[in-house]
Amino acid sequence: MSRPFPYTYISCPCADTPVPDPARKRRSRESPQKSPQKPPPERAITDRDKKLSAKEEEQGEDEDEEQTFDPRSPRSNFSLYPPEQLLYCEECHQIKCSRCITEEIVSWYCPSCLFETPSSMVRSDGNRCGRNCFNCPVCTSPLAVSTIENATGNGPQQGPWVLSCGYCLWTTLDIGIKFDKPTNIRSQLQKMTDSTPPAALDRSRQASRTFGDLKHPLSSYASIDEQSNARGCDPEQAAPKEDAGAPPMGTDARFAALKNFYRAQISETSNSPNDHLSSEFGFSSPGALNRLMSLYTSSSRLSGLYGGSKKPKSKPPVMREALTASEGLHVAPENNEKDIIARLQSPECGWDGMASVDQRATQSPDARFVDDLLPLPVLLRTKRAKRCKSCKHILVKPESKPQSTRFRIRLIALSYIPLPTLRPLAPSSSSALPAMAPTSDLNSLPPLRPIHILLTLKNHMFDPVRITLATPPVTPGRVATKVTVLSPQFEIGANSDVWDEALQGASAPLTSDSRSAALRGVPEAGKVWDKGRNWTTVVLEVVPGTLPGSSAEGGDGNPNTETNDEDVLAVAASRQDEDVLEIPVFVHMDWDADAQLDQQNVGKGSKPDDKVTRELAYWMVLGVGRIQPSL
Amino acid sequence: MATLKPPTNTHRSSSSSSHSSGPPKAPLKADPTATIADTVVFQGRYLVTIGAGTVIHPRAKFYAYEGPIFVDDGCIICEKAVIGAPPTSSRSRSPSPSRPPSTSPTESGASTPEPRKEISTRISYFVTVGPLTTVEPGAHIHSSATIEALATIRRGADIGAHSKVCSGCEIAAGGSVAEWVVVYGQGPGMRRKRARGVKEMSPAVVAASQVAQAPLPGPAPAGKVIEDARLMVLQKEREVLGRMLVPAVGGRKK
Repeated sequence: MSRPFPYTYISCPCADTPVPDPARKRRSRESPQKSPQKPPPERAITDRDKKLSAKEEEQGEDEDEEQTFDPRSPRSNFSLYPPEQLLYCEECHQIKCSRCITEEIVSWYCPSCLFETPSSMVRSDGNRCGRNCFNCPVCTSPLAVSTIENATGNGPQQGPWVLSCGYCLWTTLDIGIKFDKPTNIRSQLQKMTDSTPPAALDRSRQASRTFGDLKHPLSSYASIDEQSNARGCDPEQAAPKEDAGAPPMGTDARFAALKNFYRAQISETSNSPNDHLSSEFGFSSPGALNRLMSLYTSSSRLSGLYGGSKKPKSKPPVMREALTASEGLHVAPENNEKDIIARLQSPECGWDGMASVDQRATQSPDARFVDDLLPLPVLLRTKRAKRCKSCKHILVKPESKPQSTRFRIRLIALSYIPLPTLRPLAPSSSSALPAMAPTSDLNSLPPLRPIHILLTLKNHMFDPVRITLATPPVTPGRVATKVTVLSPQFEIGANSDVWDEALQGASAPLTSDSRSAALRGVPEAGKVWDKGRNWTTVVLEVVPGTLPGSSAEGGDGNPNTETNDEDVLAVAASRQDEDVLEIPVFVHMDWDADAQLDQQNVGKGSKPDDKVTRELAYWMVLGVGRIQPSL
Repeated sequence: MATLKPPTNTHRSSSSSSHSSGPPKAPLKADPTATIADTVVFQGRYLVTIGAGTVIHPRAKFYAYEGPIFVDDGCIICEKAVIGAPPTSSRSRSPSPSRPPSTSPTESGASTPEPRKEISTRISYFVTVGPLTTVEPGAHIHSSATIEALATIRRGADIGAHSKVCSGCEIAAGGSVAEWVVVYGQGPGMRRKRARGVKEMSPAVVAASQVAQAPLPGPAPAGKVIEDARLMVLQKEREVLGRMLVPAVGGRKK
């Protein structure tokens, strides 16, 4: 794990929920009132709680829910998150990770000019800013619009404008382009590079404007004859445009031409009047599939039952490919490659004149040289709202305005679950334990030496919380580390006003007592280490296990019986980062919350003063450090 | 800004300073119109020449241990730039104290190549050297070049006129950068030729106008105008700086 020691992760419970999402959605659609029949977490937790408090965890592990969380298992990679990345759903009363939420886009905006792009414009603009924001095609830094008339001294702020890069000093003069106005540079550039031929331009405009009108007459050819007629006149139509001297179209224009051509081909080759292939849904509509299926079944039935005695089947018309340049055909020029090679070898091009792969990735596919690169409009960014996948409750909703960084709704998990922090307890000189190892370096913990770790839980709720911690006595995996929570049950104060602490400080003997205990420096079983207004610190005693390194060398020598591939894989997988000491800790918290509407779902023991007891339980993983390979 | 002062008389003393206990103070021949901050360090045994109108910002360091350093007119040397190499980091080749420094200060344009021992470092006209850059001995930076912050010019490198070494880039020892070239990226970086004359129009635009049978847009001016504008701005910056500083030093309030 990439975080420095010590770290804490919290496991999102979604990994344990065996119900995949669509299934859950379906079920909830069928019976929205009934909760899914997964085991209700509260009951399991209370069972578990009892067992844990009785310290008989190993005996009662029948259900899946009761298994100890293993931070090393491959599955847990997908459920462990740093606490600050988690969200909390107030409807489900569950921790939500990034896999149990759905995202929806609130707004698109340009990160450079911070203007919001309406969602209807996003596609037509190609996800890029439609204003003046451009990135340098050479070095990707933002380009500035600047005048070049001041340089020649003709007048203030008049005349041609260029885009210039402040970093690599690229300007549009490098590609011989200047702009007449300082505004709407994107449309100016588009006009310059728009290589749609005038005829094709008209046609495409017509197609886009009167889309249905253009297609319906074509798609309503009822018979083959009409179709053949249509095809007969097709070359005549194409012939006048087919002048060999026509300059090649640009990429965009060619794409548009090809698109038009194939659309026309589809409508021409569909021979039945009630054919829906060429309707506005196209091939991807469900009607198209229906028609295809019926076509296959009917033809097989016809040929199977009636042989050839039926009326002669007409040959289905065949779609042809583009033949002329106006249809989008692009024939490679004769000496194209030779020209390119000659240009490569010319001294003024050289290596530096070639566009790099990164530069070409966002340019037109024909761009090979630095001189072919065009300035790139800035890519848009999005603001996204997040919803709980199971109850569709909104968890995060940012302000839609790009200028604002505020959130309307933001239910982060840390306002509901205590923030765990970890630090080693420095051994005091008057320590009663002589075998206490110096815990200065968490990256090399000596094995078999007990160390003490302080785990602080900080409450951010406005209600006091009762916490029960439970750990397996021995960590799972091959490195058996003994872990003991010295005071597994404790309470954390409410996140009340800061002044409360100051006012209580004079008359609170408890805190001063615990402070003195902290000064004494002897961790005692059953006592919390320290306590503040909304936080509590407890001590974990950890005895790191020995690595199987030296002993496993011998162990590796004899696994002749271990021929199973999975075992070998498991061994290999466990070898990596095996020395990392991670302690799974089960946290169960309950608190008395104000009763809300969904009282019957959550509340169990109703308190007299309109309070309900809420519960939440989850696994967390404490990354303590690395164990030394040897003593 | 307040620490920037025009050169005082002690700065202009062209005789070698007294060999006290500290590091040897390099003899300095600065033009009276140059602006040199108080905290600029001049060390070494060879002459450091500063041209007219040059601005040297505080805590720049000049180590003239291996040869003379020439900074021509109109340059800007920014904070903490290091020109030359301190004797410890030089290749343990301490200059012989018997050898006298080249006390004959030639004109700033002429070069005094002393090929055997002295390695002269030269920064030509209108060069901008950014903060925290390192220009090692023997480097030659031609006129109107720009060295950005944290760049490193190794020994004997040659930076052509109107070139730019972007921040963090490193020009290897003995390497050369041609004229009108930008070195950008990281480390050795990538290179790009700047537009100097009138470039032909982008093929996309040419093709578009051919297809549309529209006349080509008017030819763009030569790329040189951008560089002219940049140099004008630099010139203005130096002038304004000089105007801001001189009254402050003179004690006249406005």
